[in-house]
Amino acid sequence: MTSASVAAIAIIAALGSAFTMSAAGAAEKSIDIGIVTARSGPLAAPGKFQLNGFQLAVDTINKAGGVKIGSDTYQLALKVYDTHCNAAEGASAMQRLVGVDHVPVVLGEVCSPTAAAEAPVASDYSVPLILTVPTAPDLTRQGNPFLFRVNADTDQLNKALAAYVVERHWSPLSFIAWNNDAGRGGVNGMKALLPKDIAIGYVGYFDVGAVDFSSDVTNIRKSEARAVMLLMDEEPGALAIRQIRDAGLDTQLVGTLAMGSDRFLKRLDAKYLDGMVQYSAFPPSAPLQRIQEFGQAYRAHFGEEAHGFAAQSYDGLLLAVNAMQAAGTATDGAAIQKALSGLSFDGVIGHVQFDGNNQASPPVYITQWCKGGTRKIDFPADLKSGCGAG
Amino acid sequence: MTALLEQIVNGAMMGAIYVLVALGMVLIFGVMEILNFAHGVLFMAGGYLCDVFVLHLTGSYPLAVILTMVTLAIIGVALERGVFRRLRVNVPMQIVASLGLILMAENGAVLLFGPSALQLTVPSVHSLVRVGELSFTVQHFIIIGAAVASIAALQLFLRRTRLGAALRATSQNPEAARVIGIDSDRVYRLTFAVASALAGLGGALLGPLFLISPQMGDLPLLKGLTAIVLGGMGSIPGAIVGGFAIGIIEAVSTLFITTDYRDMVVFAVLIAILLVRPWGLFGIRVRGDA
Amino acid sequence: MRVRAGTARLAIGALFAAALYLVPVAFAGSPYVLFTLTLTLCYAIPAMGLNLLLGYTGLVSLGHMGFAGVGAYVTALLMKHGLASFVPSILAGTLAAGLVGVLTGVPCLRLRSHYFIIVTLAVGMMLFLLFNNLDWLTGGAAGLPGVPRPRPLDLGFAVVDPRRPAGFYLLAATAFLLVFVIQYALVHSDFGRSLAAIRQDETLAASRGVDVFAHKLTIFAVSAAIAGLGGGVQVLFLRAAAPQSFGFLEDVNVVLIVIVGGSGSLFGPCLGALLFVALPEALRVADAFRMVLFGAALVALALFAPRGLWGLAATVARKLRADRSVVARAGHS
Repeated sequence: MTSASVAAIAIIAALGSAFTMSAAGAAEKSIDIGIVTARSGPLAAPGKFQLNGFQLAVDTINKAGGVKIGSDTYQLALKVYDTHCNAAEGASAMQRLVGVDHVPVVLGEVCSPTAAAEAPVASDYSVPLILTVPTAPDLTRQGNPFLFRVNADTDQLNKALAAYVVERHWSPLSFIAWNNDAGRGGVNGMKALLPKDIAIGYVGYFDVGAVDFSSDVTNIRKSEARAVMLLMDEEPGALAIRQIRDAGLDTQLVGTLAMGSDRFLKRLDAKYLDGMVQYSAFPPSAPLQRIQEFGQAYRAHFGEEAHGFAAQSYDGLLLAVNAMQAAGTATDGAAIQKALSGLSFDGVIGHVQFDGNNQASPPVYITQWCKGGTRKIDFPADLKSGCGAG
Repeated sequence: MTALLEQIVNGAMMGAIYVLVALGMVLIFGVMEILNFAHGVLFMAGGYLCDVFVLHLTGSYPLAVILTMVTLAIIGVALERGVFRRLRVNVPMQIVASLGLILMAENGAVLLFGPSALQLTVPSVHSLVRVGELSFTVQHFIIIGAAVASIAALQLFLRRTRLGAALRATSQNPEAARVIGIDSDRVYRLTFAVASALAGLGGALLGPLFLISPQMGDLPLLKGLTAIVLGGMGSIPGAIVGGFAIGIIEAVSTLFITTDYRDMVVFAVLIAILLVRPWGLFGIRVRGDA
Repeated sequence: MRVRAGTARLAIGALFAAALYLVPVAFAGSPYVLFTLTLTLCYAIPAMGLNLLLGYTGLVSLGHMGFAGVGAYVTALLMKHGLASFVPSILAGTLAAGLVGVLTGVPCLRLRSHYFIIVTLAVGMMLFLLFNNLDWLTGGAAGLPGVPRPRPLDLGFAVVDPRRPAGFYLLAATAFLLVFVIQYALVHSDFGRSLAAIRQDETLAASRGVDVFAHKLTIFAVSAAIAGLGGGVQVLFLRAAAPQSFGFLEDVNVVLIVIVGGSGSLFGPCLGALLFVALPEALRVADAFRMVLFGAALVALALFAPRGLWGLAATVARKLRADRSVVARAGHS
């Protein structure tokens, strides 16, 4: 017996058993919804919020009796694969979802480059991929009819904020940003939107996982920045803000997304946040019924404050279900895609309707922290509110 | 000018942490010629264990730190006996085993504690100290103190005790050491115990200052590796100089180049130094070197 | 005797190649399996390149996917912007990677083993930073989407369309076989024997007249070029380039593929690639514990299969052969 034969037999046995394990069809009618997300690695935390949103949607629908498509009623189930922000893993996961698990639609993803590798597979097999977190604008500009995005992209998020900065003439504007797609994309996006009279000051990129911002703080002080924009997640965000304020710098802070939440407040003292402004897709205390209801449902289910990624994902799944109902099919991806393009949907994050690039334009808010740890909405003007409602 | 001075101080503060990590790594490499890539997860384990000890066991942070060091020492010995002893001559398999341990530890931490970072509040992190325009916490100074104390303790141990002499002898020539009656197994266990305790100390001190997360050891590992190569593998003064140098270079470089190339500066300096001195700053030149 | 061994090897090789090319037919109904096997080939190519360096010359390079990234981005940019067709693009990628290999090798190869490991790690990270930071060129951290597949190739008797899974698999398989043959030829040449001598005892090899540095630099450049080829094939397969595909985690991954598969053997990297691509896919069913199990498996392998999986298979095969011959000699039939 040669080494080759021993190896070959072992491999064939192992792989053969593994690959014949396909998703068993359940006895009662059930639809598997494909989910790609990060369950390990440095972006597992946002991935968890994303998954929670999908889970809440599925549980809510199933508890209400399931989904009625045509004359049948189906229970929903999630088929979740971990792509940990790796392009090859993303493509593999998509391939498995469409080729082995035969899901009618896939949702999720956290990282833009991974989504870029998943999108072609969606198109190959005519299965819609609905993104709920990645923000790189280019994703929806590749002419792929099967790629949809529910959440606002970097350009949309930055637009309102850029106008806000210009209005208050916060010049020079400094940045501290993650050296990844989220951070770099944010910096480039803002730079492109700001006019010449807003000077761009110090830009401090840092590796994901770095925790010490002392050198950035020194440089920001020296550059006499009027405002500092923090393009990162809540965990390094809390550290950066603490270090900036502890150094005695009272420069205006500009945050991102989930820095406008009570969860974020718990990481810091209210005194650190007073006056900070951030763009938000989901102001948790906004006096809007859709947001309040979602917040309560999320808290009841998970015992913690809702996160914007969860809201976006929740809407994404409901959108997919609506599309399946409109198309009258739980299996035909192409029909579901057609239904999605024409759908008009009012979700937790607001009105969702896809443009020619399959990109939605959900509302973007700007909230500001008040003394004492409450927030108010500063933008859009028609939703301007007092402290405590943001 | 003041900006430069400030950045040097900033860099030295971070450098102290790198030194703590590098000390443990250089010890293991010096005595056993093993590149322990799992050192980063030992650091991380120190952070989590300290958190658990403070919150669920002692309530006292100093006590928890000591307990953490002891526990990590025990873990280190277990690792040495269970994994690294058999791999002493097999460098590729050292890498495989270390990476396997990293996978188990980091993902195990996610399973046990969740992916979100933990925050441990201790009083020394909330008391601020001003140095000119800069502000540091008491914890920063504790870390510097711990680094200095570790260096001093290590030097004392290596030069004034019999066990320390045994360690040095084994690092210089394992066969000869065995010939004169030094129990090399005991030496290896001790090395791993001390190095792991140092890693645990680093994690326990750094955790409350910043965050405790499954990936918290990744960057310190990389900096530690760079530090010991820069300083000369196997040289303790080298590890110290290397650690501080990297911290300072990182901070100072932000004054001159765009910050997304900060790491590149450190690596470029490393390569430049190795071009001139292929055995590192304080490394030992071996026959066959350029 | 020697003639028969030679033809036997050729026959096995032809059989192996035939099996490789018949995969799309065998798995015509399982696109997922075809996908996974194509991805395996994409990973096997840089692994074979690294194997020449690590397994045959004894140089552990922890930044090897950086070279794959150079090849990938050059190929991707040329193809995406329509500046060149498939063959020139991938050739350019391969050559660019080889060039970067030469530039890297000159300072790094003078260093002793452990220093070499860390410095190659540093080089890999520097290359990653370039892929990540040069937004205007590489698309930066957001990656480069929309990389086109090569156009269909008319072979006369058939048309191979790389835009379809089977067609691309055949392209990848061809690249794989090309690299395999190169690997084989190098290993069995005088050059390869000199490399083995360098691995075993550099000083002795030098004293026997081997120009150690020239050999090391050459093999470093060749292995970098091969990695570049692999990177180019991978980026065309995934139709997107991402910096993380060529970062630290991937550097580590390819080293694991080579060592676990069995460094210093021709089939080791292929086995390793199969394991590291196919096994995590198969383990998707144990999702939450997947990586912990995988880590435990690696530790177990390091302890109990110190020559990698190929070495393990060889040991098992030898034992089976030995048992049989013992039985035969004892007179039982």
